[in-house]
Amino acid sequence: MELNELLIWARGPAFNIALAIFVFGMLLRLFEILSLGRKEDLSAARGSGVAGGLRTILSRSLPRQTLFSREPLRIINGYLLHIGLFVVIFLYRPHIELFERLFGVSWMGLPTGVVDAVTAVTILSLFVALLIRIYNPVLRFISTPGDYLIWLVTLLPLVSGYMAYNHLLLGYTLMLTLHILSVELLLIVAPFTKLTHMFSFVLARWYQGYLAGRRGVES
Amino acid sequence: MSKPSIEKGVNFIKGQIDAPVASFFSSCIHCGLCAEACLFYTETGDPKQTPINKVEPMRRVWEQEFTVLGKLKSMVGLGKPVDEKVFSEWETLVYDGCSLCGRCSLVCPVGNDISGMIRKIREGFSAAGHAPEGLISATQRAVEIGSPMGVKLPAVKAQIRHLQADTGLSVPLDQQGAEYMVLLSSMEIMNFPEYLEAIARIMKQAGKSWTISSTAFEATNSGIQIGVSDLAKVIVERVVDAAEALGVKTVISPECGHAYTAIRWDGPNLIGRPYKFEVKHILEVLDELTVAGLIQTEGMETAKLTYHDPCQIARKGGIVEAPRRLLNQVASNFIEMSEPGVMNWCCSGGGGVSANERADEIKLTAFRRKKSQLDELKVETLVTACANCRLTLEEGLEANGMDIPVVGLTEMVAEHLVEDGTQKESAS
Amino acid sequence: MISNDSQFREILGELGLQEQRRVAALFVDNVLPLSDDQRLLQIVTSLKEGLPEEALSAPFKEAKATSLEAHTRCGTEGDWDEQAAYFVARATQASVEPQLRSGGKNPAWRAAMQSRMARTCLASESDEDSHNSETTAQYIILNNYLNR
Repeated sequence: MELNELLIWARGPAFNIALAIFVFGMLLRLFEILSLGRKEDLSAARGSGVAGGLRTILSRSLPRQTLFSREPLRIINGYLLHIGLFVVIFLYRPHIELFERLFGVSWMGLPTGVVDAVTAVTILSLFVALLIRIYNPVLRFISTPGDYLIWLVTLLPLVSGYMAYNHLLLGYTLMLTLHILSVELLLIVAPFTKLTHMFSFVLARWYQGYLAGRRGVES
Repeated sequence: MSKPSIEKGVNFIKGQIDAPVASFFSSCIHCGLCAEACLFYTETGDPKQTPINKVEPMRRVWEQEFTVLGKLKSMVGLGKPVDEKVFSEWETLVYDGCSLCGRCSLVCPVGNDISGMIRKIREGFSAAGHAPEGLISATQRAVEIGSPMGVKLPAVKAQIRHLQADTGLSVPLDQQGAEYMVLLSSMEIMNFPEYLEAIARIMKQAGKSWTISSTAFEATNSGIQIGVSDLAKVIVERVVDAAEALGVKTVISPECGHAYTAIRWDGPNLIGRPYKFEVKHILEVLDELTVAGLIQTEGMETAKLTYHDPCQIARKGGIVEAPRRLLNQVASNFIEMSEPGVMNWCCSGGGGVSANERADEIKLTAFRRKKSQLDELKVETLVTACANCRLTLEEGLEANGMDIPVVGLTEMVAEHLVEDGTQKESAS
Repeated sequence: MISNDSQFREILGELGLQEQRRVAALFVDNVLPLSDDQRLLQIVTSLKEGLPEEALSAPFKEAKATSLEAHTRCGTEGDWDEQAAYFVARATQASVEPQLRSGGKNPAWRAAMQSRMARTCLASESDEDSHNSETTAQYIILNNYLNR
């Protein structure tokens, strides 16, 4: 198959399939969670569960002071990684155009030079995360093959995208094709790994926050 | 408790898995931060003590039973086991290395309530016969005798008589229509009877009607700690039946931390219905009485002191400011520990750990966390509001050659109570 | 003759610190048979002979350790007869506690109360209640001490 044909296929049918698998897969995972249900808490509420749930969804994004002083590197690195991913995926104009094609909405992007720099930082933070995972005794002990897999499938789109943009290594068309294919890999793999956390974290924070809110305790 | 078995254990774990648990396991990406919040990890350096690792058996059950992918994996033999070996290996992590303190739940970036899951997994472990002997017998005693330490009514009556003789204070038993029904923990009855006197004084001064039930004076619920909900239910029912029969407005939970969690939050869910009365912790009541001006204090402790927040009361109970208001009223040199309030470190003896002889060593090791908090302060007195914390702290301090008296907050308030009429005659 | 706790406490309060400790030792002595811990016997004996304030830290440490060891561990089956020994230890501890640590409380009064508590323990599982007779015995002990 010629390179151009591959690119067209990657951008077209392959993408649709990958996206479908992603959406269906994630919906399935969410269904698996929600279908289990939760027993009602019959104790007398001291506060509002709803307020607690919503508050925790937001507040958990900030670390506890005491924990931050213990593990500043790990925590800062986590922010760099996630904020970096957000910027790269959602604030890069070519990506925004893709979203516009898919969902009909569009928004302001950042200058591509900025996104480029952010990409480099994000790639670095991924490597720092890998080092932490390998060298920290706790992470080394609890990590599973799945953790390394999601690291890899997250890295590939970032690296290939960076290389495509900067016209590095292989020719632009090939790099772009690889980039798109790597994104498709990520989309396909995601629902079957802990990448589900990108959606399930809202539920987790909500559930804990709800219970805590009812009890008038902090969360 | 009927005959334990691994099969039963696995079924019980399965029964504990709900949407929250599933969302927790779906979201954990092994960041390891929970370990940094856990004193059993920070002081031992043992990665197995990582909180999320403690519930690994439950994760396996969840994956295999409640996820499509997990089911497929099992079918091709890729599922991880949950067998006798696993139960044996994890027993000390689930019981000895966890005081259900809840710090891990508060720091998890994705919001997982890990400590809640450890509480749930204990249901499975005890059903499988893998719970510490000490806890099992304590719970059996609680169900059969009415107290985990075998404290019976005559003992309570003897103390009441003593109190009456020495101080003239009366302790009404089974008073119909009293406003408050007071619960006591066996630990207090046996080791800190000053607590009863303190309550009697305070209630008298505040002019509140109160009573103790002869059939339900016990607050401790080790069924919660061991993870046997049907026994925990029996223990709670006793209290509910008595309180509702006497028609009291509020049941007061004593200084014991887990007793509060058990009766305030778990109770209605165990018996399947809301109560017809309120439940308050003694500190909440003291705070209310003080704010309402029904009790006043005089004089101040001048010793440099600090307050240890019992986990079940502060972090899990939401009672953080009340003890501080009370303490500031009777102490002029109160300084806070590092990380006070909701993020305070556990004494190391909660959640059944202090009742588990096998856990003595790890408990003392974990205590070093509290010790380092105290080392920073150089206080002369340590105040707390939980009988179990009190003894755990005393033992830990003793083992480390530190001589800091540990005092209960309720007693301290009672000692400074302004009492009408005759000169105060405390029996302590 | 002392006949009530008001009087009892007042008189104890009027004694000098050294005397308070001596009297405390006498109170503990009366319940000492309820504990078989030799350390307590030694402390009480030295205290009866007279211990200067500076010499209290070692006996206090001993008494505190004894007390801690004697308490009933959370969740274990309590034995009230053994628990009496815990209060004997606490009574001993109270009698040798340095004033700075106890906040100036009267060691004799505290020792008296803890000793009575030891008797209450025995009454927890028996039909006999020696608490009140212990109170009376303490009045007599104090009386005898004053009239020695």
